[in-house]
Amino acid sequence: MVEVKNLTKHYGRVTAVHDLSFEIRDNEILGFLGPNGAGKSTTMNIIAGFLPTSEGTVTVCGHDIKEDARAAKRCIGYLPEIPPLYPNMRVEEYLRYCAGIKGIRRGQVKSEVEKVMRRLKLIDMRCRLISNLSKGYKQRTGLAQAILGDPKLLILDEPTVGLDPSQVTELRDLIRELGKDHSVILSSHILSEISAVCNRVVIINKGELKAVDTIENLERRMSGSLTLILTVVGDRDAAYSVLEKIGGIEEIEDVMDMDDGTYVFRLKLKDEKVRQEIMTALVSKGINIAEMSMQKPDLEQVFLELTRKK
Amino acid sequence: MFALYKKEIKSFFYSPFAYALSALFMLIFGFAFVNRIGSMSSSVLQFSFPDMFYNNFFYFIFIIPLLTMSSFAGERRDGTEVQLLTSPLTITQIVLAKFFAIVTVFLFMLLLSLFFPIYIATHGTVIWSSLICGYISFFLWGIVCIALGMLFSSMQSSPIIAAIIGEIVMEGFLFLDQFAATKMVESYPKLNSVVTWFSMQRRFLFFAQGMFRLEDLVFFLSLTVMVLFWIILHIEKRRWNHR
Repeated sequence: MVEVKNLTKHYGRVTAVHDLSFEIRDNEILGFLGPNGAGKSTTMNIIAGFLPTSEGTVTVCGHDIKEDARAAKRCIGYLPEIPPLYPNMRVEEYLRYCAGIKGIRRGQVKSEVEKVMRRLKLIDMRCRLISNLSKGYKQRTGLAQAILGDPKLLILDEPTVGLDPSQVTELRDLIRELGKDHSVILSSHILSEISAVCNRVVIINKGELKAVDTIENLERRMSGSLTLILTVVGDRDAAYSVLEKIGGIEEIEDVMDMDDGTYVFRLKLKDEKVRQEIMTALVSKGINIAEMSMQKPDLEQVFLELTRKK
Repeated sequence: MFALYKKEIKSFFYSPFAYALSALFMLIFGFAFVNRIGSMSSSVLQFSFPDMFYNNFFYFIFIIPLLTMSSFAGERRDGTEVQLLTSPLTITQIVLAKFFAIVTVFLFMLLLSLFFPIYIATHGTVIWSSLICGYISFFLWGIVCIALGMLFSSMQSSPIIAAIIGEIVMEGFLFLDQFAATKMVESYPKLNSVVTWFSMQRRFLFFAQGMFRLEDLVFFLSLTVMVLFWIILHIEKRRWNHR
């Protein structure tokens, strides 16, 4: 669907994006993750054809965004960070205008606009001035503009910023639904959003590619270090000395003293089998285990790990 | 391209903007008109409209940048520039659509100003040939100024600053004649001829005398096309060193 090859972008002497290569498959939702200033918006602007590349190529539906810009742009629906809205237009009027500049045939404009408004629940707002809309409706109008004409690729730059929680869920459901018959690139620095919606993620930091993989694979990659949270009741020192003797534990961290004879440890394990060993060792010394749980690495940890280094 | 043109036209006529500017334009024209009539002897019921156009232009110069100021700067301020540039429209189409929209508003103003010659025609005589020439020259000078105003708008993200720069440059063009007439410039014949060639006032005066010279038509049109082309290049360039 989209192929990004060795994409590099300089702003004067500053390199915003360096040697990015990844692809977006048909009907997949690709998450685009990175801290602020990582080059997410720059990359999206380049894929959408707003900014030219310094080096490298971007191909959308087989059309090079530089050489064959018109054909490529016809396949793209783009919602920038700030929705491109004219405050003094009405919703329906605005969408008709968008249909016009997107080159939708005149006979189809009305039905297309109607379809999009229905899909985004904008029917009741059709005659409202955009300047009078709430933030959520503005965002929806922006999204409506992007999906007009049913482009094969949707580029959504932080679409949920500034929405209330129920609107966020609504928008997520919508994106998931759109992902069934569109390719979607979704940028965000909200991790829960990405893990809720996306199939694969691209993580970038300071303009460099850190990872491209499915969320499961990324999490698995991190699970080299398993963490166990252990809560014991009884003698802290006795428990500590027992734990020290078990070879499968790499690191013992004293987390909490609950004041009522309960202690919490965080243990780093070599593998999952060590759990059994810990349990039997503690029980044989008469130390009661109140709770034992594995802490799975989630996308958040992966993200922090990958973006922390350098 | 037509959709963009339509949107631009709407943004002028669905807001008080075009009407307020037209009213200002008519007010200026009206003052000049009353002035002229007042200073004429009662026996002559013919007067030269091009003269009026000529005087008017000094004021009109202040209206054109107001028309053009938000053409690109406004889009940039509202963040809608991204949408235009990522649409399948080419930059040439975008520039032309905006240009023709503003020219349409300009024509609307000219149409309103027809009130004065028509009024004269019902009470006296109008020299139609010089009137038509006057309108043509006013129109041609106007489109050059529109193109220039759009150019400054494309360079700015603040419409007000675009308007102010536009006014300064247009005033500069207006005073090119006076500049050419200074002793310093006159002492360099080559420089003098170059400056005079660019002077729009001189060409305007030819028209005002009812003289339609192809040279002047080509001058105004080519200048307009050149500036429009410059706008296209400038927008393209901005994309390259955008930040």
